[in-house]
Amino acid sequence: MTTGSLIFIGLLQAVLVAALAPLFSGFARVLRAKMHSRHGPPLLQNYYDLFKLMKRQEILPAHGSLVFRITPYVTIVSALLVVMIVPILAADSPFGWVGDMILVVYLLMLARFFTSLAGLSSGSTFGGMGARRELFVSALVEPLILLVLFVMSLLAESTNLGAISRGVATGAIPYLATVWLGMVSFAFVVFVEAGKLPFDLSEAEQELQEGAFTEYSGRGLALMQWGFYMKQLAVVSLFIAVFVPFGTMTTLSLLGGLLALAIFLIKAAALYFLAAILENAMARTRFIKAPSFTWIAVGVGLLCFAFYLVRI
Amino acid sequence: MDAIQLLISSALTFAATGLLSLLLRGLERPARVVSGLGGAAASVLAFLSALAAFVGDSASLELTGFSAFGRFVLAMDGLSAFMVGAISLLAFAASIYSIGYVHEYRGRGCGELGFFNNIFIAAMLMVVTVANAFYFLIFWELMTLASYFLVIFEQEKKESVSAGYLYFLIAHIGTALIMLSFFILYQQTGSFDFDSFRNAGLPLGIQSLIFLLAFFGFGAKAGIVPLHIWLPRAHPAAPSHVSALLSGVMIKTAIYGLIRLCVDILGAPLWWWGFVVLCFGGLSALLGIVYALDERDLKRLLAYSSVENVGIILMGVGVGMMGMSLQLPTLAVIGFLAALYHLLNHAMFKGLLFMGAGAVVYSAHTRNMNEMGGLARAMPWTSFVFLVGAVAISAIPPLNGFVSEWFVFQSLFIASSTELGVLRVFAPLFAVLLGLVGAMAAMTFVKAYGTTFTGQPRSVHARDAVEVPGSMLAGMGALAIAVTLLGLGAPWVTPFIGGVAAQVANVPTETLASGIQIFPGNEAQGVLSTPIIFLLHAGLLTFPLVAVFALGGHRAGQRVDADPWACGYGYQPQMGISATNFAQPMLAAFRPLYLLRTLAQKPLDGIASFAKRFGASLPAAEPVVERTVSQPIFAFVRTVGGWVQRMQMGDLRMYCLYIFIALAVLLIVIFK
Repeated sequence: MTTGSLIFIGLLQAVLVAALAPLFSGFARVLRAKMHSRHGPPLLQNYYDLFKLMKRQEILPAHGSLVFRITPYVTIVSALLVVMIVPILAADSPFGWVGDMILVVYLLMLARFFTSLAGLSSGSTFGGMGARRELFVSALVEPLILLVLFVMSLLAESTNLGAISRGVATGAIPYLATVWLGMVSFAFVVFVEAGKLPFDLSEAEQELQEGAFTEYSGRGLALMQWGFYMKQLAVVSLFIAVFVPFGTMTTLSLLGGLLALAIFLIKAAALYFLAAILENAMARTRFIKAPSFTWIAVGVGLLCFAFYLVRI
Repeated sequence: MDAIQLLISSALTFAATGLLSLLLRGLERPARVVSGLGGAAASVLAFLSALAAFVGDSASLELTGFSAFGRFVLAMDGLSAFMVGAISLLAFAASIYSIGYVHEYRGRGCGELGFFNNIFIAAMLMVVTVANAFYFLIFWELMTLASYFLVIFEQEKKESVSAGYLYFLIAHIGTALIMLSFFILYQQTGSFDFDSFRNAGLPLGIQSLIFLLAFFGFGAKAGIVPLHIWLPRAHPAAPSHVSALLSGVMIKTAIYGLIRLCVDILGAPLWWWGFVVLCFGGLSALLGIVYALDERDLKRLLAYSSVENVGIILMGVGVGMMGMSLQLPTLAVIGFLAALYHLLNHAMFKGLLFMGAGAVVYSAHTRNMNEMGGLARAMPWTSFVFLVGAVAISAIPPLNGFVSEWFVFQSLFIASSTELGVLRVFAPLFAVLLGLVGAMAAMTFVKAYGTTFTGQPRSVHARDAVEVPGSMLAGMGALAIAVTLLGLGAPWVTPFIGGVAAQVANVPTETLASGIQIFPGNEAQGVLSTPIIFLLHAGLLTFPLVAVFALGGHRAGQRVDADPWACGYGYQPQMGISATNFAQPMLAAFRPLYLLRTLAQKPLDGIASFAKRFGASLPAAEPVVERTVSQPIFAFVRTVGGWVQRMQMGDLRMYCLYIFIALAVLLIVIFK
């Protein structure tokens, strides 16, 4: 594909993810409510919330610095950049000429850096605790993301996400044990990155998991939440691009694009569905026990690497 | 003037302004202006010299008539010019910064501080350009001594003096090992010239011995784990602009020495050399950042983070060395490129961060982050540049730390698909380790910035802080600009450093950049374009802004409220997260690594207490041997002491001269 059409697809992906991310999170909320035998909010509740919050007066903590004000924008921008690089509609990475999987991992880090700094800068106890959690969990899963993506890159002989995605889609990278194990441990990463259990207490969401958001209100809160929804969909799309990249278009066409979009929506909905089931079926655990869960995932990741070494 | 003449004039300017500052020590303000502005001017000369060497061919100059057994040769090849460039950039910023900062030391010897500081920089410039082992050691020693006096500058603090002692001890153990490796080479070649070392053609066994001696010798200076223990004590003890130089460039002269001796001269013939370097690099990176995370002293946190960054640099060096021994030119070039790029980047952002910490100490008079908080209000500029440094050191795109770590990842990626089994297994694991280190670095610097500059002030000092003088801001601002340019300008900087890396590895240059993209020799493997990332960040910002506007958010208005929410109770600053409890979950999760430090402390304490007990038991044995052995010896010693007393004038410069003479005499005795 030409650079022009790649840029077009990249921007299209950004717009789509920005528009659809609240819908998927709303879908997850509805599912959870159904599983709790509650009536639950409407599917579009997240949109109503965002619209309403935008119009509300914003209250800033007296000691919130510059960081506190710019963070909502930073999180949205970095999430958008990630979805412009990840191949969602096309087989190629639309902005693959800007960066590779290493950049994607560190862009997620950029968002996390500023989110937690904003939490800390608000001076609020819960903000600081949320910041601490965010970075602690990231230190536990970051190595795992890199391990799995590194193995997949070695199989594709390139760190470009388009090359990995195309390799899996065309069968150049066959579904051997390595890929399956990588998929399992990466699914764990997506689960954690999307802010799901077992490290989140759904009854204490306001205080802990969204701890860094505590002092946000009005427009700032709307942007922060929107950015968080986008980040959820971004990691889900990363999973799809690397492990189930079928149905993407190879040349730019309206029909191919619509088909690719429909297939992507189905795959993403399926993943949100699975995550919701898992989330509601699992017991909650103390946050400090998180390493014992991540160690299991790291073990699976290492097994994936070992299988890569012996080429199974 | 050519590169060498510029370099010599720069070194002489440093020395002259240093001496002038010493002469003016009674008048503090002129002393600090002379040493600061003079240092800045000399740094400009040194930078021009590096540029001249890059533009022209390698230059060298021999000065005769100094000593009978060593030719005084200065040579500027790509590597030397690169190091001179890195030193001069940081020295420039540090000199400007020092004009304001040294005011903090009024009445405590500003003149002496300027003297030792400028001599220290001059010695570093000489160390990286001299091409003779004998003079290398002389300047190495001069650098060590000058920096020792800077470390113990705050003599009234017991802590500084003991840190200085530890530094002195370990630095000299290192120097002894380096000397040994040079002497072996001298024994085999009969000359101290690096050029003659190059053509020595030694058996591999002896080469390996030289490598090990040099690696641990230079490693002691670079602060690799487990020889790092002096670094987190000595670097914070010095005045902050000196800490910046110590962490930013002095420890890099050890990396330079390692590359010069083991790569340039010996040619890294065996793969396990590189592997040893890689492993120690990985270990230093991990333990450095783990311990940095636990620190609540801002400057010690930065010093531990230097251990981490030296580790990352050594990982690049190790991969490059393995590339050379495996005859894989791309691997060698990318490995050394990653190492040198990170070396330069670390000099810039660690310099910036240490100066930022210095600014905080200048205003808030404490290094304890638990007593800070909310400084961004009083010190907006310092806070901003510190944030730039914190983002860069956490390898956040698109600033410079990310670019060099990206190259480390890419070098490990190439290494993962070589024929060598060890690399196939370990290179991906080191990449994962680097990812862990990156995440922990982000946590460390969120903590450092967050608890120092944001939140509410947690002490009176923090509440009364004010912005620092303009010269300090100018020094830090210059480095913040350098950090940004080295990141966004990667497509233009990379070919330069890549050229140096190729020259070091003695292979043809690789294509590393085209247009606005950089790539590790092969475009299909992965590309990066930091300028476009920056433009996209800026461009995508319109997205949320338009959304806010379209949904009427711009009309909503803002209100600043006094206190954060505290469940309905009255808010107190202590409710915010402090530096100590921020790292707490990490301490729980990585307990074994912290336990390691506690366990290592025991044998060290054991040695110390043994030495103490040994000393204490001596008086008990004294009466027995006193009459027979001791008294004649004491009498003799007293006589000798009488002579020595005449030499002891209490002037530090004379001591430097003595050490120089002693070294020279020793060498003449041995080799004549």
